[in-house]
Amino acid sequence: MSQYIRVWALLLFTWLPFESAGAESLELGKLVFLEKAEPPCSLCHTLKSAGSTGEIGPNLDELKPDEERVSNAVKNGVGTMPPYDEMLSEAEIAAVASYVAEAVLRENGR
Amino acid sequence: MNQLQLPRRHFLIAAGSAGMATALSDTLNIPSAFAQEPKPLPPYAAWKNADAMIVHSNNTLETKREFFGTSGITPEDELYIRNNVPAPDESIIADRDAWEVEIEGVRNPGKKTLADLKKLGLETTAMVLQCSGNGRGFHKHKASGTPWTVGAAGNVIWSGVPLREVVKAMGGLADGRNFITGTGGEELPKNIDPKTIMVERSVPISALDDALLAWEVNGKPISLAHGGPLRLVFPGYYGVNNVKYIKKLAFTEKESDATIQRTGYRVRPPGQKGSPDQPSMWEMTVKSWVTHPLKETDQGPVLIYGVAFGGNRSVKSVAVSTDDGNTWQEARLVGPDLGKYAWRTFVLAADLKPGTHIIASRATDVAGNTQPEEFAENERGYGHNGWRAHAVAVTVV
Repeated sequence: MSQYIRVWALLLFTWLPFESAGAESLELGKLVFLEKAEPPCSLCHTLKSAGSTGEIGPNLDELKPDEERVSNAVKNGVGTMPPYDEMLSEAEIAAVASYVAEAVLRENGR
Repeated sequence: MNQLQLPRRHFLIAAGSAGMATALSDTLNIPSAFAQEPKPLPPYAAWKNADAMIVHSNNTLETKREFFGTSGITPEDELYIRNNVPAPDESIIADRDAWEVEIEGVRNPGKKTLADLKKLGLETTAMVLQCSGNGRGFHKHKASGTPWTVGAAGNVIWSGVPLREVVKAMGGLADGRNFITGTGGEELPKNIDPKTIMVERSVPISALDDALLAWEVNGKPISLAHGGPLRLVFPGYYGVNNVKYIKKLAFTEKESDATIQRTGYRVRPPGQKGSPDQPSMWEMTVKSWVTHPLKETDQGPVLIYGVAFGGNRSVKSVAVSTDDGNTWQEARLVGPDLGKYAWRTFVLAADLKPGTHIIASRATDVAGNTQPEEFAENERGYGHNGWRAHAVAVTVV
């Protein structure tokens, strides 16, 4: 029985970050992903949650990047991916990073 | 088994982080819920030896450290792949000789087919092909990009026409040409400025003497995955400069203004933005790594071996340490010398006592450059050649 209590305590604890992620920020993140970035992330990347099927860059559902990795890539670029730090605000970069990280986790798990 | 059944989706949402996932997995005794299934080979590289490869993504495949062997050549089916954009359709290798490359910046510019090029000259060059980010996984900061360790490199033999012969056949260089600029034949989405994501790289004109337009690797026509039907090859230069599916070759006054050249592949301290005034990832530097033993070995005599290269000049010697760099012994270079751009296998006979041994290698090139112990961090994690990070901890039983 004690094991079940431990399990649910863990589940509750780990749920909290998602509850506090902020629906507005995630909405903004999706908007950046689909429209605000130029060219938009969706043009090159597949992400089920956003309904995008781009095939130029890595499939994000398969790559499963965490928030920091997305944020780094958006700020600095990777390979042919351009840096977006002049086009997007810090808040927008943070929003798209948390949106992508949350979306891949929700859709695909770790 | 005392497993708790949870709908997988809810379970995964709740897990939140890898660390927490492990804790949950232990608690719930769910052995496979978080086990990372190896990704399958992508269709265009399905012919690769899956056992030898780490598939990071469809465009980034790494050779496992234990698969480099000792004969000095990396088979194409075990060679790493880093495609900056997806490979073109297979139809481009259906009629290889019909492939056309546009050549500019010579006195008589024009198009040449692969069949034309095959009549102009032939050269064969062994060289290390290495991704700029090989060793990124050793950087302490979380540099963006694939966290390669040692396997984004291989030693291969290219055959093709020397670029200088092509230039000669086309009337020589036009005046004021400072760079060689290659453009890949990948298809890009139409609704985007092509300069944003195209693979177009420039290298200094000094690379002309040893450059090739290559159609063969290790004795076979180059696969689509590795740039067939025609690849621009700059021995001694990092992988990105060796443009695949070369569609346009231009001798230019200035470097390309494509993003991949202008701000991409630029070395700068962590936190700084990429800019054209920073060093570009051009010539490679001296480097080595042990490939055997890697984890565990029996006490007593053991042969320690690995690979070493000088980048844009010959490797001269390799020292090996089995005691975390306190003492070093010179290793023997094995096998044929395939030229200054190739790597050499090195070997050292050692006698190891039980315990953990930190085994490191440290190469020196003919100009006297030696691998540093530590490598200064840079924003994108390029060019790591520090020997300490490349060392392995081997348990001797």
